[in-house]
Amino acid sequence: MSPQFSDYALVVAAVLFALGLFGVLARRNVVYVLISVEVMLNAAGLAFISAGSKLGQPDGQVMFIFILTLAAAEASVGLALVIQFYRAYKTLDTDSARELKD
Amino acid sequence: MSSTELNALLPLTAVGAACLVALAGVAVRRNVVFTFVVTILGFAVSGAALFASSGAQSVGGLLVIDPYARFFSAVLLASNAGVALLAFSYFRSYRENREELFILLLLETLGGLVLVSAVHFASFFLGLELLSVSLYSLLAYVRTRKASFEAGVKYFVPAAVASAFLLFGMALLYDAAGTMDLAGVGRSLARAGSLPEGAVAITGLVMVIVAIGFKLALAPFHMWAADVYQGASAPITASLASVSKVAVFALFFRFFSGIDLRASALVGWILTVVAILSMLVGSWLALRQRNVKRMLAYSSTAHLGYLMLPLLSGGRAGAAAAAFYLVAYSAATIALFGVITALSSVDRERDDGAELIGLAWRKPFLSAVFIAGLLSMAGIPLTAGFMGKFYLLTVGVGSSLWALAAALVLSSGISLFYYLKLVAVQFSRQEAEPHGPRTPLAAGFALAVAIVLVVGLGIYPGPLANAIASLAL
Repeated sequence: MSPQFSDYALVVAAVLFALGLFGVLARRNVVYVLISVEVMLNAAGLAFISAGSKLGQPDGQVMFIFILTLAAAEASVGLALVIQFYRAYKTLDTDSARELKD
Repeated sequence: MSSTELNALLPLTAVGAACLVALAGVAVRRNVVFTFVVTILGFAVSGAALFASSGAQSVGGLLVIDPYARFFSAVLLASNAGVALLAFSYFRSYRENREELFILLLLETLGGLVLVSAVHFASFFLGLELLSVSLYSLLAYVRTRKASFEAGVKYFVPAAVASAFLLFGMALLYDAAGTMDLAGVGRSLARAGSLPEGAVAITGLVMVIVAIGFKLALAPFHMWAADVYQGASAPITASLASVSKVAVFALFFRFFSGIDLRASALVGWILTVVAILSMLVGSWLALRQRNVKRMLAYSSTAHLGYLMLPLLSGGRAGAAAAAFYLVAYSAATIALFGVITALSSVDRERDDGAELIGLAWRKPFLSAVFIAGLLSMAGIPLTAGFMGKFYLLTVGVGSSLWALAAALVLSSGISLFYYLKLVAVQFSRQEAEPHGPRTPLAAGFALAVAIVLVVGLGIYPGPLANAIASLAL
């Protein structure tokens, strides 16, 4: 069987996901981490859409709408946290937060 | 949606309605006592609705309210009712807004209730996110303490990454199975079999396991746990340690009961390695902590590792063992964090091991609760934890999970050191600090219920054992 369109879409989604994960692991700035998480969530959304189109079902697109909703909720709470974090520590570098240790 | 479906959803509707009433109350006039009473009433009505219903009712293919879902819903409601009582005492002296804390607790509970009754990826995902997003805000709730933001960010980043892993894994499983129904996915995984034909499905399943591992703080995904436990205020940590873990584990168990693990040996191996790592790493790291909350974070990793035994053996006996252990674990968790709550105030968290020196002479009641909780966690006879561990070992030996059973015994042996060390410290004669404030009534009540459960279930486990014997999936 030759590769189908949805297989390519899945590969693109996997690459996007890996890029996002790399961003989360490599960046120390909270805002960049948030952006990378957003990339990962959208990669998952793309994978859902590709699976849905392959199977000819609307479920994949429904899940994508759920993911959009979640990404918005997550970003709003996340940015609120970032603002409070910045006020407390005067930096966005996660490594500088060292209150909690044994 | 038919009326029978609406009736079955009553436990969830009650919590949702309590949330709306509390929100409306805040909009009209802020009154923390009103919000607190609404919260407790919401939990009580939801619990009553659970007891009033019977049988299994599917709701729109997304949720199923069966005895399994009802049992775990009751555990979640009881735990978070305890947390609400503790939080009410803890936040007495907090000068900023306190009402939203209870609304977030209600939302977190609602997410948990959705999770334990989810039978579809969509409800699984929505329930988990409702739980997690409420927890982000709860963890960072105290605006006057720097550490609380650090805890919030340190939970937020791994949890958001875990959500992305979960979604990507679900998408792959959906691609391979052609359905998002948990049972359907399980059947298709059994057919897909092993690598390389089932590569997409197995990758998806492993990504879902990674995400769940993060939420349960299983090793090697436990790095966030200690900092978050320490930074959050004690009642919220209690909720994180009991409610979020019980709900996610209940769903994990339901998901895996539909998958024949013998069909994919790789996944079975991964889970076994994760379980053994969690037990040993958790106990080893807990041994080295001086802060009580950090110690409990790592010991909770070990406890979730123990719970992999019933997960891997599965079946009705596995479900019963997991249910009993989770009840024992939640009761002990509420007892331990409850005592820290009663000792602390919102301005000062007294979670260092040194704060417990001579507690038995200063505060006999708190000390008794704390000792009961520690002994139950350690699995000493006449406590609920002993019966729970007994069940787990029975199940593990029954399905010949020898490596896991051996790791459980070894890890329990190590855990005796750090639990009993904290028991011994309380009887030290050294008068460390003057007598602190009196234990508030609400927290005292929650602690009394917790100690009755911890000791009662150890001496007389019959009724609970009978109730969970029929938790068919």
